[in-house]
Amino acid sequence: MTGTDIKAAFFIAYKTISKGHKSTLALIVFILSLSFFNLMFVSGFLSGFSDGIIRSMVETTTAHLAVLPQEVPIKKEYIIDQASVRSGIETIPGIEATTAHYQLGGSFAYDKEQDGVFTYVSAPIIAVNQSEEKAVLSVADNIVSGEFPDTLQKDEIILGANLAGGFGTEQSTDLGGVVVGDTVSVVYGNGVSRTYTVRGIFKVTIGSIGGTAYISTKEAEAILSTFNNASEIMVKADLTKYTLDEYMTRIKSLYPELVVETYTTRLSTVGILVAAFNIIALIVSVISIIVAAITIFVMIYVNAVSKRRQIGILKAIGIKESIIELSYVIQSIFYASLAVISGMMIVFLAVIPFLDARPIMMPYGEATLVFTTVGIIINIVSLLVSGLLAGFVPAKMVARENILTSIWG
Amino acid sequence: MISVKNLVKTYPGEVPTYALKGVSIEVAAGEFVALMGRSGSGKSTFLHQLGLLDTPTEGEVTIDSINVLTLSETERTRFRLEHLGYVFQEYALIAEFTALENVYFPAMALGDSDAKDRAAHLLDLVGLGSRLHHQPHEMSGGEQQRVAIARSLINNPKVLFADEPTANLDTESSATVFKLFQKLNQDLNQTILVVTHEPEDKQYVDRVVWMRDGVIES
Repeated sequence: MTGTDIKAAFFIAYKTISKGHKSTLALIVFILSLSFFNLMFVSGFLSGFSDGIIRSMVETTTAHLAVLPQEVPIKKEYIIDQASVRSGIETIPGIEATTAHYQLGGSFAYDKEQDGVFTYVSAPIIAVNQSEEKAVLSVADNIVSGEFPDTLQKDEIILGANLAGGFGTEQSTDLGGVVVGDTVSVVYGNGVSRTYTVRGIFKVTIGSIGGTAYISTKEAEAILSTFNNASEIMVKADLTKYTLDEYMTRIKSLYPELVVETYTTRLSTVGILVAAFNIIALIVSVISIIVAAITIFVMIYVNAVSKRRQIGILKAIGIKESIIELSYVIQSIFYASLAVISGMMIVFLAVIPFLDARPIMMPYGEATLVFTTVGIIINIVSLLVSGLLAGFVPAKMVARENILTSIWG
Repeated sequence: MISVKNLVKTYPGEVPTYALKGVSIEVAAGEFVALMGRSGSGKSTFLHQLGLLDTPTEGEVTIDSINVLTLSETERTRFRLEHLGYVFQEYALIAEFTALENVYFPAMALGDSDAKDRAAHLLDLVGLGSRLHHQPHEMSGGEQQRVAIARSLINNPKVLFADEPTANLDTESSATVFKLFQKLNQDLNQTILVVTHEPEDKQYVDRVVWMRDGVIES
C-alpha cells in the first residue's frame, strides 16, 4: 500500500460520503450512535451502581482505611492513647481526618406497648465522638427521624433503622418500631446495664451498618472502664494524592505494631456483590461491543452491496482491491467516529443533565453514570476497531466479486 | 498489437454455454477494428476476455507482446490501469465523481501529478470543456459516454476497447462518438477495437470482423 494508494482510497471515501445520500449517512450515524450510547450507558450505569455501593460503604462504614489494635506478638483489645496515634496519622500528607471508635455489643430490650412485653435483639454498638466522626463518616447525613447531635449525651442513643424497625420491611432482628423519644435498655457483654433515650434513627441500606446503634465515647469509656483508647481508628484520605497502599505503608511506618486495613479488604460481602456487578458490567459491555460491531457490519455491508456497481467499475478501470477495501474502512471509521461524537453528546449533554434534573433513587442514593477516562477510551477504541473490522470484511466480500457481476448484477 | 489464439469461453452449468469456441484474431498497432454480429454471437464476451474483465477457459491472448493470461490478478489489475482503456455500453461512470474526477481518477491512482490538467484537456478534446464539474446525472447519455471515452484515454492506453458504446445513444450522439474514435485513431494512432451492431458504423473503421455463434466468420 503506497502513499498514492492511500490518497486514492481517501478520495473515494471522501467523494462517496460527501456526494452520498445525506439521509442514509444520518441514518447510519444515528443507529451507530445508539449502539455507542448503549455501550456507554450500560457500562456507565453499572459502574455507577458499583461505585455508589462502594461510596456508600466508605462514607458510612469503612472509611478509606481502618487502623486496628496490635495482633502480634500479643493481641491487644485496644489502640492505646488513640489521641496521640490519630495526631501522628494526621501528620501524613493527604490524610484529611480521623475518628476513633469503640466497638461494643449488647442485648437490646424494648417494650413498645408499655405492657411488660419486651422485644429482645442483640446488635453491635459503636461509640463515637460525633464532632470528630462527621469529618470521616456520614451516618448523620442518613438520619430519617430525630437527629445525631455533635454532643450525644451519656443517656442518649442513635439506632439504625434495621434495628429500630418500622422503616421498611419488617425483620426478625428489629425491635418492632422504636420511635425517637422512646427508651431502650441495653445489657452489655460485660454485664453493665443501661437505659437510653432514642435521639435519632438513621437509615443506611448498604452493608450491615443499618443494624447498628451509636452511643457517645464518654458513655463507652464509662461502661468499659477505659480512657483514650479505641477499638479502631477510621481514616479519611485524599485518594487523588496517594494510593490506598501508599497511605497504608506510611501509617505502618509510623505505627508498625498496629494493623492497617484498606476499605477494599473490609467490603466483605458487599465486595463480592460489587465484583459480581463488575463482571456483569464487563459481560454487558462485551455484548454491547459485539452488537455495535454487528450493526456496523450490517450497515457497511448494505452500503457496500448498494455500491457494488461502483466497486465493479473501479476494478474495471484498474483500481486495486486493496484501495477499494481501504476506502470502505475509512468510510466505516468515519461513521464510527461520528457515532462516537454524537453518542458522547447524547450521554454528556442529554442523559447526565436529565439524571441530574430527575434522579433515579437507588438503595445507596441517586443513580449516577460513572465514566473513567480509561473506560471511555476503551469504549471509543472498541467501536472504532469494530468499525474497522466491520468495514473491512464486507468491503472485502464485495470487492472479491467478479467485475462483470459487480457491474451488471 | 493484439494476438488472440484459439480463445474458448465456456460457462459451466447443467447445460454448459459455449460462448466462444476457439477465436483467433490479430489486430495491428494503430488499427481501428469493428467487431460485428448478431446478439448472442459472443462479441461482448470476446471483448471482456481481451479487456481482462473475465478469464477465458482456454486460449492465449497477447497484448503488446505480453501474454496477459499468465498474469496474476494483481498484475492484471495493474495492466488494465496502465495499458488498457475500456468504454462500456452503459458508460459506467462513478456517480459520486464529477466528469473531471471520473477522468483523472485512474491517473491519480498511478500517482500522476498533472492528472487534472490532462483530464481537463481530454474533456475539452471530446467537447466537454464546459462540463468539467458536472456529475453524471446532470449530463445526457452522449455526454456521459464522451466522459467515459476521455477516462479510457487518461493513462495513454495501448489499446482502447469499446463495448457497444453507442447502443444507448441517438443517431447524432452515436455519430459524434464514432467520429471521436476515428479522430483518436487518426491523430493519435490509437489502436481501437469496438463492438457494434450498427451497419453504418463500418464507415469509420479500418476493418470489420464478423462473429457468429462464438466464432469469427471473417
